[in-house]
Amino acid sequence: MSAAGGGGGTSSVNPIQILALGLIGGLILLYLVPFIPTIGPLFGALGAVLAIIWGADAIARVASYGLGTGVPSIGYMSLAIGIIGVLAGLAGAVIFGSGLELLGPIFGVILAMIVGAVVALVGTKIIKMKIPIMVRCTVELSGAAAISVLGFSAAIAGSLSMADILTTVVTTGFIGVLFIMNTMAIQHPFNACLGPQEDRVRTLKLAAATGFISMAIVGIMGIGYSDIWWVTAIIGAIAWFISISAFIQASTEDAASVAWTGWWPEEET
Amino acid sequence: MDPLLLIGAVTIGGVLIGGGVHFIPVGGAPAAIATATGVGTGTAMLAAGSGMTGLITAAAATGSPLELVLLAGGAGSALMIAITMLVGNWVYVWGVGTVPVSAKVTKDPITGLEQEKYVTPGTEGHGVPTVCFVSGVIGGLLGGIGGGLTYYFLYNGLIESGISAFAASGGSISAAAAMTAGIFALAVFFVNAVIASYNIGGTIEGFHDPKFKRLPRGALGCIVASIVIGIVGVLLLQGGAI
Repeated sequence: MSAAGGGGGTSSVNPIQILALGLIGGLILLYLVPFIPTIGPLFGALGAVLAIIWGADAIARVASYGLGTGVPSIGYMSLAIGIIGVLAGLAGAVIFGSGLELLGPIFGVILAMIVGAVVALVGTKIIKMKIPIMVRCTVELSGAAAISVLGFSAAIAGSLSMADILTTVVTTGFIGVLFIMNTMAIQHPFNACLGPQEDRVRTLKLAAATGFISMAIVGIMGIGYSDIWWVTAIIGAIAWFISISAFIQASTEDAASVAWTGWWPEEET
Repeated sequence: MDPLLLIGAVTIGGVLIGGGVHFIPVGGAPAAIATATGVGTGTAMLAAGSGMTGLITAAAATGSPLELVLLAGGAGSALMIAITMLVGNWVYVWGVGTVPVSAKVTKDPITGLEQEKYVTPGTEGHGVPTVCFVSGVIGGLLGGIGGGLTYYFLYNGLIESGISAFAASGGSISAAAAMTAGIFALAVFFVNAVIASYNIGGTIEGFHDPKFKRLPRGALGCIVASIVIGIVGVLLLQGGAI
């Protein structure tokens, strides 16, 4: 449990496990996209959801120290860094030689993490922010942001190549939607759940909900570009319903008393 | 295009954006409940609003000479932040019922009007008084020019790179290059706005605020971050496996 401003409280989940889930799980699912063309886009979207859960955990750890600027600002910044890394990585992978374009996504994630580290070091060394885990968490957040953008881009474009992502995601303007939507998905869970009784498992249930509803929207954005857009949209919507129900269930159980949850009343009174 | 030119443009653009944020009356959560001067939201939201408007107006001037793109970007951002402050003031004056007043100065440096006795005890001012408004418009102009600068050089770099995907067909505008440059410039905008926001500790009133003295430190931070982003941005000119 941790309160915004206090920081450093013990978390009910192991950050290393979430990191492994987001980074390794996210990248593996991402790389399934070009190898399984039929249902690849679905894996890309699922990888992005894993990255969003990882990002939500990282933002919860760093923002519990009280950034002074609110939780969303670091979310926007990390997505900005993620998009810089992804575009530069996909475009710049040709420097490794032809035939190695598949290194682009990993190169993008690494670039995003490097820029994230530099920005965090600017924060701690030049601006003199006193947050001990600033560098580590910003690096994690930038990586999560990059994987989430890559995953959703791959879900729309159906491939990981710069040419396809450029025509279907960047030129159409979807990249702007992904920018704001992924920021929301990553920063909202902790922004909504912060406080003295914050439970990380409950926060991450909300992160799963925001990730899956983004996945459903990405499925709809894939109309005309991806053949299985409806699979992504429906699976995203079903998973959203399950995760948001779990979150509301957890919130009701932890609450001292519940007057009204926002759901419809179970029986007419 | 010479990669160094692009790195230089991103760096100068980043410093202008980061410097511009120091001028904008960011009130944060206290201003949202009218207990502090400024617009009642965080830097990221103001950067999103005015930054995106500035980039859209700058992009509308694509193909024009540099000064016109910069002017368009600056005008768009300044206009958006001015509208935000004006409408915010309407809410503070007629909705909340407070007087726009600054608690950081005894007299408004521009109008010379008395400030102190209008500040509600226990608060740090309300709304957007004249000095904050003028400061905010200056900040919007600087930020918009910075965003426009980044956009202009990246767009032209992509066009000149000779990559077929970015080629402008028949002398018209290349949508792919415009969107890539636009989203990159927006990302540069957000990173520098948040670095500046960390520097001011989340809230500032404008150039009359004592926190404004932290500007050199924030500018240095933005220079370092923007140089690295500029170096990464040069990779965009490779164009990917096309």
